Amino acid sequence: MAIDSLVLGAGQEVGKSCVVVSINGKRIMFDCGMHMGYTDSRRYPDFSLISNTGDFDNALTCVVVTHFHLDHIGALPYFTEVCGYKGPIYMTYPTKALAPLMLEDYRKNMDRRGEDEQFTSDHITECMKKVIPVDLKQTVQVDKDLQIRAYYAGHVIGAAMFYAKVGDAAMVYTGDYNMTPDRHLGAAQIDRLQLDLVITESTYATTIRDSRYGREREFLKAVHTCIAAGGKVLIPTFALGRAQELCILLEDYWERMNLKVPIYFSAGLTIQANMYYKMLINWTSQKIKETYATRNAFDFKNVRNFDRSLINAPGPCVLFATPGMIVGGFSLEVFMQWAPSEMNLVTLPGYCVAGTIGHKLMSGKPTKIDLDKDTQIDVRCQIHQLSFSPHTDAKGIMDLVKFLSPKHAILVHGEKPKMATLKERIQSELGIPCYCPANNETVTVPSTHYVKADASETFIRSCLNPNFKFSTYSSVDKSYLDSKYSKAASGLQVSDERVAEGILVVEKGKKAKVIHQDELLLMLGDKKHEVQFAYCFPMHTERLQKTRTEELPSADTLLCDLDKCTLINQLSMKLSNELSDANILDLGEQLQVESFRVSICSKNSCPHRLSHSVHNDSESVFLCCHWSLRDEKLAWKIISIMKSSSPHTT
Amino acid sequence: MEQHVMNSIEQSLNNNQPLSSQTLASLRSLIINPTTSDSSLSSLLDALTRSLRLTRDSVFLHHCLKLLTDLSARRPHLSPFAVDLLRSDSLFSSASPRLVGESLSALLSLTSSQNDIDAARFVSLCLGPSVPVRLWLLKNAEKFAIRESVLLAVFLGFTRDPFPYVRKAAVDGLVKLCKNGDFNDRDVIEGCYCRAVELLRDAEDNVRSAAVRAVYDWGKLLVISSEERNKQDSSDAVFIQLCCMVRDMSMEVRLEAFEALGKIGLVSEDILLQTLFKKVLGINKDKIYKPIKVFEISASAAAGAFVHGLEDEFSEVRMSACYSLHTFTVFSSQFAGEALNLLMDMLNDDSKIVRLQALNTMHHMATCNHLKVEEIHMHSFLSTLFDSCSVIRSATRKILKLAKLMKLELFKLCIDGLLGNLETYPQDEVDVFSVLFHIGRNHGKFTVLMIEEVSTELEPAFGGKLGFDSTRVAAFLVLAISAPLSNESDVCGVPSRIFSYAVTWLGRISYALSDVMNRETLLAYLSKCSRSSTISLADFKIKEALPTVKGDMPSHLCSEVGSPVSMPLWQKGVETFDHHHQKLFLGKSGTHLEYGLRECDELRQSVNLVFRKVKDLWSLVQLGCTNEALKAIRACKEEVASFTTDSPGSAGAVAFTLQYLRVIKLLAAVWEHLMPTKKLNCYGVGKLELLLGKLDRRLREIRNKFIGLSKAEELQILELIVVACLLRLSKIEICCYDTAMKKLSSIISHVEILRKGGPIEPSHFIIEVKKLLNDIGSSSGGSTCKPLLFKKLIDSFSLHQFVLGGSPRHINAELEVPGNDSENPLPFIPGIPASIPLAITLYNVLSEHRLWLRISMGEESTQFVFLDLNLIRSSDEVREFTFVAPFYLTPKAISFALRVSIGIECLQENVHQVKAFGGPKRELAYLCPEEEIFLCKSTKW
Repeated sequence: MAIDSLVLGAGQEVGKSCVVVSINGKRIMFDCGMHMGYTDSRRYPDFSLISNTGDFDNALTCVVVTHFHLDHIGALPYFTEVCGYKGPIYMTYPTKALAPLMLEDYRKNMDRRGEDEQFTSDHITECMKKVIPVDLKQTVQVDKDLQIRAYYAGHVIGAAMFYAKVGDAAMVYTGDYNMTPDRHLGAAQIDRLQLDLVITESTYATTIRDSRYGREREFLKAVHTCIAAGGKVLIPTFALGRAQELCILLEDYWERMNLKVPIYFSAGLTIQANMYYKMLINWTSQKIKETYATRNAFDFKNVRNFDRSLINAPGPCVLFATPGMIVGGFSLEVFMQWAPSEMNLVTLPGYCVAGTIGHKLMSGKPTKIDLDKDTQIDVRCQIHQLSFSPHTDAKGIMDLVKFLSPKHAILVHGEKPKMATLKERIQSELGIPCYCPANNETVTVPSTHYVKADASETFIRSCLNPNFKFSTYSSVDKSYLDSKYSKAASGLQVSDERVAEGILVVEKGKKAKVIHQDELLLMLGDKKHEVQFAYCFPMHTERLQKTRTEELPSADTLLCDLDKCTLINQLSMKLSNELSDANILDLGEQLQVESFRVSICSKNSCPHRLSHSVHNDSESVFLCCHWSLRDEKLAWKIISIMKSSSPHTT
Repeated sequence: MEQHVMNSIEQSLNNNQPLSSQTLASLRSLIINPTTSDSSLSSLLDALTRSLRLTRDSVFLHHCLKLLTDLSARRPHLSPFAVDLLRSDSLFSSASPRLVGESLSALLSLTSSQNDIDAARFVSLCLGPSVPVRLWLLKNAEKFAIRESVLLAVFLGFTRDPFPYVRKAAVDGLVKLCKNGDFNDRDVIEGCYCRAVELLRDAEDNVRSAAVRAVYDWGKLLVISSEERNKQDSSDAVFIQLCCMVRDMSMEVRLEAFEALGKIGLVSEDILLQTLFKKVLGINKDKIYKPIKVFEISASAAAGAFVHGLEDEFSEVRMSACYSLHTFTVFSSQFAGEALNLLMDMLNDDSKIVRLQALNTMHHMATCNHLKVEEIHMHSFLSTLFDSCSVIRSATRKILKLAKLMKLELFKLCIDGLLGNLETYPQDEVDVFSVLFHIGRNHGKFTVLMIEEVSTELEPAFGGKLGFDSTRVAAFLVLAISAPLSNESDVCGVPSRIFSYAVTWLGRISYALSDVMNRETLLAYLSKCSRSSTISLADFKIKEALPTVKGDMPSHLCSEVGSPVSMPLWQKGVETFDHHHQKLFLGKSGTHLEYGLRECDELRQSVNLVFRKVKDLWSLVQLGCTNEALKAIRACKEEVASFTTDSPGSAGAVAFTLQYLRVIKLLAAVWEHLMPTKKLNCYGVGKLELLLGKLDRRLREIRNKFIGLSKAEELQILELIVVACLLRLSKIEICCYDTAMKKLSSIISHVEILRKGGPIEPSHFIIEVKKLLNDIGSSSGGSTCKPLLFKKLIDSFSLHQFVLGGSPRHINAELEVPGNDSENPLPFIPGIPASIPLAITLYNVLSEHRLWLRISMGEESTQFVFLDLNLIRSSDEVREFTFVAPFYLTPKAISFALRVSIGIECLQENVHQVKAFGGPKRELAYLCPEEEIFLCKSTKW
């Protein structure tokens, strides 16, 4: 069994996330994003790799979308409406609610730029009708075999990591996530799962970011200083996510500092988005959920709607205006008015696309900006750059992978050289095989397959009763300590033997069964066999013989019983001297130490006698030894003692 | 009715039939009925006993159990019989685990004392297949008297149980065991620690959070049992291990981890710093710790632990992280500096409690002299002065009082912040003025510069009309008048007219400064300053009169204590007040009294803060990190030494605290010799004996040199004396058994007397000691030495926080021979007694005290002279007089030196000493350092 991951997008790049995973005959498409950097065919994932014939409904079991960012959802209307996929699509409730806003916004912008329309408004509506919303930690049975479950991912509202399980094979696709909370969203949260594969984003594969508090502090300080001096603050921002985060930050600060300066939201998307946020309280951070009992945190107290007439009103204010990066629209309009005054402040998002005014402002402070041939803006205002990012950093990725401890990991959504570094780290530090495939490559990893087995009653009963054993250094083999796996060994160890007592029996044509070890013989109808070791060796007894000849003239006869006993007796004394702690039993004709038995061999050709040692020495007597496996060491020790010191010293 | 029921029981029993459920029901009614006679109840018990032998039916057994519990609950005098019956095999050996569990809990609820379910039965019940019973037994294991070794095996075994709740109960059991038990076997400790570490990766949140506690507790034992040179490393390893858990997905586990982190006292600086950076520091890159042979952990695992904690989604975790930080800021200033960067950001936190905790941690840093505020912090720090929550504002101001600012800009920012605070929240005026005054005193030069800048604002408006109506002006005036009191040497330059302006604000200012000086003092001070056109010599005198600030102490250390920025007492200045006088004076008006009390309270608070610190330090001593502990105690001593002692009663409190610290320091030094790793060698014996002798002396002093201690306080001191005795007893090498035992029993009887006199409870430790004494006394006439027993007792001792409630008075003395030094010796004639005129000042000596002058010449001859206090007519508080002491044994020499000191006879010491020449009968505690007196053969002859 294996899991195949076909990376259609975001392989060694950021953009158009799309991974098709086949597990046990099921095929799931995770995310269906578009690349914002291209306008040609590279904009969308190459769907033809899924199915040549275009019969996506049979090729895919379902589509799962993690969150509403365009690089994760942008290609969805195209895929469903243009390519004709009609199967189920899963996303969380907030994603379903907010995705149309995003797509529509994108479509309008495309329109404005005069590009070809990839999909229409109707397409979006139709596409959304196919979406099945899921809740967090809700296990959805997609079909008989496939289960999916969403976990909180932070990042943006409604972002989720998805767990998918077919049979015994299980995997997690993280989408984008954030391991540290921000002002309105919590940190990613997932259970400890048994996983074969984790596919994780790696936007910051090598970066370790500082605490966000520093950035917040800078931002608040800049805003506060500006309004304290009577200036106006323009915050051009995208409507969803960042606007709410910053607004909560400011609102909280206003509250604490008793500030009365107005905060405005420009009309448009932002108001609508706020409305959604108010409804999606469940998906925010602990703090906002807690305060919800008294007040909805998105019911901003100090926030008012902006009116065009207020642009030139006197006095300080803070304004959130769309679109971000000042590409046009209202934020540009306000910027043109406010930029010429030194008192005013413009905060820019961390990333601005080249060619936008935002980008120009960021790359060195210009004094004049040429808007077009006729218009020139005099820029004297202060510029503050925000560098908030809702992605986790390298440490966060490592922490998550460590926590989940999957058997394999795949990195997507990152830059190639950085991903290679992270891949090395995951492999060396965590010992997890890791891959970072390029686009349109397939990675195959083995998956878990469990065999269902019945259990016998005795086994179940034995499982109910604890059966732990303790061991200490002395009983642990030294070689074991030195070995690579010695980590777990320590002074005092405890183990529970219950499982070891079970025996898996697989009979032909029958279901596998686990039985208790005592039952095995019964079941097989067989007797118990035990491995016995035997060794027969000569012992020189010259001195012994000599003394004896005087008494017994016919010395060549076999040693009589009495002599045997004397010899054994002498051996016994010898051994008890050497092995002080062993329990030596002298049974007359034979000697027993644990399972080791030695007696004088009376046979001429003992089968246990090694051939080369057979040299018919009349002056030797043969000792025949038997022992079972567990006393092997002891046995050889005794034999060497007996060999080294023939009892003639007596 | 009774008879009827009994008959039917009798009948069925005679037929060897078990009781029917109907009969059982009627039995129950008999038991519940209060009028049922005792005789029928006891025959009922008999019947139950008999029928228990007849049947094994679980329904019947269940009924029976219920009846027995009811019976013993209602008729306490029959309860022993019922309990006996419960204990009998019939219930325990039942096949139903539920019944067994229920009968066990019934047993527990009925008998309050020891429950002697034997170990074998306990283990076999645990090992039985019923999970609920197992869980119940594990949770209640400590209520049964079962040997630790058995419990340890059971708990350790069940950490492998497949049921998570059983695992959790087992781990909890291990934690309890570790706290109460006495484990010396390194193998056991390592085994438990390893198991706990393994469980940190358990799939269940509950088990993980229990495992965090276990790692902390067993880790502590691991550190203790490590060899001296490995201690630091093992402690670091445990710390790092806990750091690994701060990114757990479960909030409870994270919270638990931070709580545990804060409790670890000993961590090396590199590791601590690493917790503040997510990037692995170069120094920690390849550092690997091996707390146990087979177990290793890399230092990089600690990376950013606190950063994550402070960024956590849950305010509980953030607060806990803030709190944990404060433990470590004491140890390393570098760590404190880096932590401050993070803490400053916490001031923007949305949760009020987190902000408050961050400020508290900063305050703690300031008291440790580790707070270095920099310019980039100022904005967020000062913004808390505008916080809508008054508690936060006052916490910030508390820090500002202690702040030592390096730059003028920072100073200005602070003043601006405070003025802004005042403007926005006029209700804070009193506190803001007080802060301004303190801040001004701490930064005299900056204050002068600042006042120069704003002096135009302070001037009256045109037309000679005084327009002092703005609070802002008042604030500047407060700042201005603080300048001359600054401890920075060359501060002068505040124009004198400012002081006269300030007089017009006298009411408001004096109200705000009531913790520093009262209205009369303030008025006197202001008028004094305004009279002289420049800061003259007279003003200087005032400054000197400020007894607070010792030249070598950084001022923020002095004021750190919260309050006691000195108040000029004018003792040696213009007007003269002595303590006594002042007290009377204070007694006159309510406000003044209040002021005195308040000052006292603040001092007491800071002193108690020190006591708390000492208590926390004790864990270090127990861990065996004696050097660290001694270092910290030394720091405490310095801190206490810098407290001002000019308000009435404060001198005693400070002296007491110092003495207490000395005692603890010695105790810690002696404790080191008890550590199992420490081998006592010959040299050690001598040293230990010396230390113990010193400890005894200190304890004698603390017991005898202070009056006005409450009973609870006295009890705590007695406890320390008991510990000292036990320490002596536990070392056979140096112990004089009989004397020590006698002393111990006398102390214990003293404790008894104290206890009888009032509602105070001796600690568990004292009770244990008492028990042991009784045991020894009863067993064998008390001549056998049992060092191990004493050792065990000592191990159970843990330092309680000393709480100073009242203000103890310090008995001390000053001794001087005016005009005598080695160049101007006193004359004497060899062989004829010499007279030595001594100027003696006694403080707080009561007439019932017996004082002795100890005059010694070299090592050989010592002479005691009794000081009869009745001859000196003076108050108890201060007695100043001249006493001419005779010295009889003048040697035949040209010159010699004598050492004189005053000792107080320790009336509470029972052990008499036989001294010749009519010296003191008991040990002396000395009230002043020895004074050397020089004598020279008179040449006038």
